[in-house]
Amino acid sequence: MTRGARAAEWVVLYALSIVVALAISSVIVKATGGDWWPVVEALVDGSIKAPGRWGETLGIAAPLLLVALGTVISAKAGLINIGQEGQLLMGAAFAVFFSFRIGGPGPLNVVLLLLFGALGGAVWASVAGLLRFWRGVPEVLSTLLLVFVAVQAVGYGLKWQWLLLADEASRGNRNLVSEQLAKDNRIPRPDIFGNEFPITVYVALALALAVAYVLARTVWGFRLRMLGHNPRAAQRSGVSSTVYGATALAIGGAFAGLAGAAMFAGGGFSFGNYRLVPGFSDFIGWTGLLVALMARERALPAVVAAFVFAMLRTGAGFVNSTGVESRITDVVQGLLVLALLVPPAVVFLRDRRRARAAATERV
Amino acid sequence: MTGTGGSDPSVPAVQLTGITKRFGGIVACDQVDLTLYRGLVHGILGENGAGKSTLMKVLIGLVLPDEGSILIDGQPRTIHDPLAAAALGIGMVHQHFSLVDQLSVWENVALGEAGKLDSSGVRRRVAAISEQYGLDIDPEAQVGTLTAGLRQRVEIIKCLRRDPHILVFDEPTSVLTPEESEQLFSTLREVVAAENRAVVLVSHKLDEVLHATDEITIMRQGRVVDRRPTTDADARSLARAMVGREVSLRSERAAFGLTEIEEAADVGPEDGQAAETVISDEPVLRIEGVTVRGRRGGARLLDDISLDLRAGEIVGVAGVEGNGQRTLGDLLSSLVPLDSGQVVVNDSVVRTGAPGAMAKAGIGVIPEDRHDSGVVLDMTVAENLLMVDPHRVARHGVMDKGQVTEAAQQMIEEFDIGCSGPDAPLWSLSGGNQQRVVLARELAADPDVLVAAQPTRGLDVGAIEYMTDRLRQTAVDGVAVLLISSELEEILELSDRIVVMSRGRIVGELSHDDANLETLGLLMGGSEA
Ligand SMILES: Nc1ncnc2c1ncn2[C@@H]1O[C@H](COP(=O)(O)OP(=O)(O)OP(=O)(O)O)[C@@H](O)[C@H]1O
Ligand SMILES: [Mg+2]
Repeated sequence: MTRGARAAEWVVLYALSIVVALAISSVIVKATGGDWWPVVEALVDGSIKAPGRWGETLGIAAPLLLVALGTVISAKAGLINIGQEGQLLMGAAFAVFFSFRIGGPGPLNVVLLLLFGALGGAVWASVAGLLRFWRGVPEVLSTLLLVFVAVQAVGYGLKWQWLLLADEASRGNRNLVSEQLAKDNRIPRPDIFGNEFPITVYVALALALAVAYVLARTVWGFRLRMLGHNPRAAQRSGVSSTVYGATALAIGGAFAGLAGAAMFAGGGFSFGNYRLVPGFSDFIGWTGLLVALMARERALPAVVAAFVFAMLRTGAGFVNSTGVESRITDVVQGLLVLALLVPPAVVFLRDRRRARAAATERV
Repeated sequence: MTGTGGSDPSVPAVQLTGITKRFGGIVACDQVDLTLYRGLVHGILGENGAGKSTLMKVLIGLVLPDEGSILIDGQPRTIHDPLAAAALGIGMVHQHFSLVDQLSVWENVALGEAGKLDSSGVRRRVAAISEQYGLDIDPEAQVGTLTAGLRQRVEIIKCLRRDPHILVFDEPTSVLTPEESEQLFSTLREVVAAENRAVVLVSHKLDEVLHATDEITIMRQGRVVDRRPTTDADARSLARAMVGREVSLRSERAAFGLTEIEEAADVGPEDGQAAETVISDEPVLRIEGVTVRGRRGGARLLDDISLDLRAGEIVGVAGVEGNGQRTLGDLLSSLVPLDSGQVVVNDSVVRTGAPGAMAKAGIGVIPEDRHDSGVVLDMTVAENLLMVDPHRVARHGVMDKGQVTEAAQQMIEEFDIGCSGPDAPLWSLSGGNQQRVVLARELAADPDVLVAAQPTRGLDVGAIEYMTDRLRQTAVDGVAVLLISSELEEILELSDRIVVMSRGRIVGELSHDDANLETLGLLMGGSEA
């Protein structure tokens, strides 16, 4: 197939599945007594059109992109990491611990807390790496289970003042919250055309370019891809599946952890407002995994995919205000997420079948 | 299941007319006509990349042609996918296996069947087919434990079970020994004639095509260049028609090598070998008392093997396939650790099983199954060519695009690899061209020891001639070559020394002068030297 035909095929697939999702949504909205056009308008308003909204959307896109980049890296090594939600939470917890128990004031601490966040995610993912390469536990299982462990562990940390819990003075009568990050420790949020977003957005973009470059052009990226495609050829060529695999998992976790730290220090009301609270991760890890899926595990397309998923989130916030029941908006959002994932899935399955046929039936 | 058509022998079972298929700039098939009749076996010959597999894939529905028409039993048809082909009674046996190792033979045969599983029925059917076609096999055996030859049988039984009346074989025997394929085709031929099936056989083995077919079509660069009844053909003329020049054939050269004439003055290029080659006294590779057990502490795959290899010599490893050759190759590819003994290269012990240890020690390997550890299908030709040593074209860990392309381009030209360029994905190459990629990489890496397992598998006659010369030249250049092959002729032609493997042991060793088909055959059969 030519390039043009491929592009056209994508457009058609996406258009089709989004139209179908919208059609189903409209039926549901209608059936529950709502009006469906306002819902679409609210989606657009909430994600980009209304004042300040695209800044908000970018603020959500950044952590999604970071998580997706990590997922891309572990996927290239042939590993299925699905524990980003937990790695992200651990990253946030590490960042919080650093900010209030170790670090001091000043901008240097912002950088350090982000690095600590990355470390937290990496440590958490490496637990899965250790189980995988030392005991042979499949990483799909261990990363998933570690999500629940992470939630418990962070909940526990939030009960103890020497760990994450804020002192009485700053938590008032609330339980299970951390202190609020001091103003001079926060990630700057410059105002651009009435839109505000943390500068980690630029960091995430730069990292997307870096990941794409490293995977495509460096010897390390080359060998990592080799491992993912054909482990035996890799082994013979000197790529240790243990070293490369564990590193890829750790890096994947580091990206998720960085996302968590960036959410904590980057502000925006959606992310706990500079505090670690229960439910802080807010499905950003899971969604980031979906972003990577939509981008079919490639770094640059993940930039677009992250923005689209962020739009869904910010848009859905506005739909609530149209009087449609919030459970219905959840369904609408879910349908749209599915619509975004169907085309890559279709193409993936078809290409894989073709590639298999080409590979195995070729003589 | 068989299609609608009656068995009127005058109506061709298959008639392909003007089939054209382009892949980007490459015309894989160019106005190809092909007619198959019931009861006849049709051979297709052609160089690597000539378009043989593509044409077969058109027939089986894996490739949609850009132009041309397909008549099945006189009816015009479009075949969109293999299911449609199966419904029309067309079945294909592919070279690469699609079997599930964990399952037994009959379970594999039953796979993909709709409806309720009738296990005793399937077993009976397997037994009946293996009886009818002389494809001896134990229906209860686990496929993972079978040799390549036996797996091939399972594939064939799988195909025959659907009772297709049009049968396509694409290089089915490249994993069989000559005896196995001869036996397979003589039975198949009789039965096919008796049952009125139409058969196509794609092969690079001229003897086999001469022996098994009724009519031969020769393709070159996507076109049909010749077609003739098999009775009018001989190996030499076929080879010339395929390649477009004179080629010296292995069968002839091997026969040559075994006669007294070798002693005489002018016998061609291989004569100079003995004079030029300087075999050093010090071994480069020492395999000392190596034992490898199968998984779960099972049978010994290699049993106390000891072998020395000196620079400049070619040592052939002969034996019936499945007697440890594969494990030997894997061991020298750092893919399996050993249970006892050691491997020494240039006087230092190699950590067996450690990633890349053998490659680092200077051992290059052409693996017997290229798809297993030889290539990465989803990467480009250039990446595959630089797999083992990417640092060669990198600076500070970053690969230099210009150097990558240049290095790849050079190997593509030197080894005449047919592809659309260094950036073509490897899976888009024809089978023989994939093999050339492996050969190019391993020979270009300048190893101290070269392990060549079935190095010419899938190559056309011209390429075999070239590769044979290259291997010999490699030895002359001071590399120690270990040639593992199930083709005795290949071993006899190239080796200075021949060891025979049976059940994971080395059961005998012969010098080139003492070896002939008979002595080797005896040893392979299990009698001690
Ligand atoms: N899917 C594909 N995409 C691009 N090129 C292809 C594809 N399939 C085949 N080709 C090209 O078409 C040509 C013919 O390939 P084909 O596999 O038919 O050769 P062949 O005659 O079977 O050769 P061999 O003897 O090596 O198996 C080759 O140049 C190959 O690279
Ligand atoms: Mg072929």
